[in-house]
Amino acid sequence: MNENTELTTRKAEMLEKRQELPRITPVVDIYENEDEILLFADMPGVAKEHVTVHVDNGKLEISGTRKVEKKGASSWEEFGAVEYRRVFSVPQSLDVAKVNAELKEGVLRLHLPKAEAAKPRTIKITAH
Amino acid sequence: MWTGANDFDRMFDAMDLFRSRLNRMFVGYDGPYGENFGWRVANGSPRTNFYDTGEAFELLAELPGMSKEDITIRIQGNYLELSGKRTSDAPKDYKAQRVERDVTSFTRSFTLPGDVNADKIKAVLKDGLLSLVLPKAEAAKPKQISIS
Repeated sequence: MNENTELTTRKAEMLEKRQELPRITPVVDIYENEDEILLFADMPGVAKEHVTVHVDNGKLEISGTRKVEKKGASSWEEFGAVEYRRVFSVPQSLDVAKVNAELKEGVLRLHLPKAEAAKPRTIKITAH
Repeated sequence: MWTGANDFDRMFDAMDLFRSRLNRMFVGYDGPYGENFGWRVANGSPRTNFYDTGEAFELLAELPGMSKEDITIRIQGNYLELSGKRTSDAPKDYKAQRVERDVTSFTRSFTLPGDVNADKIKAVLKDGLLSLVLPKAEAAKPKQISIS
């Protein structure tokens, strides 16, 4: 008889583990001018405490979780608890220290200022 | 026995995940994805949840980017109408790089399962979620019948 039980031992942290929250991508608008990039993301039901914005090495990650309280018997449910998450590639030239985010009416507004060095410049021609 | 069923479950979960990733590949590489992205149902209305708590009906609707002035709630008997509009919040003097959020208006109507006390309806808008509590009329409340 084979006494090796290790092969059949399942571990909780296995890859196929059920995800805790369904993950959906928020719809976004992105605007840009000379000074900054502006990002709007729809995240209805997400409270300020549950939003994270992470900028690192040319990657911008926004994420927000929401819980939907169930009350009594549901007649229909078209949405539930989710994690909104989306990752963007952003230019390295952002001024990360000045990034600022606000959340209003379920919309995340993110200001990503460009670093001084990355702003367009007009070069004056000097006559000799 | 039960752990066996659980294993099957997990296997199917993994397959579902794989399938959704594959679907996504064809739909668009960097667009929004997921089974239900965005805040609207197919016909352009916001998504809602509806609960019956015994004493009241409760309606929850996703309305991001709308202020309370943008939303109209009307009730007549057991007919409830929710309408609203989302105005553009595009900033001036910016170049649009990507626009996925709609500027729309909608109307969605519901037939409530019972009569409600229209004077005591409470509506709260918070974080883009509208919560509507519609207390039932006396006649619509559940009653316990004692056996004589």
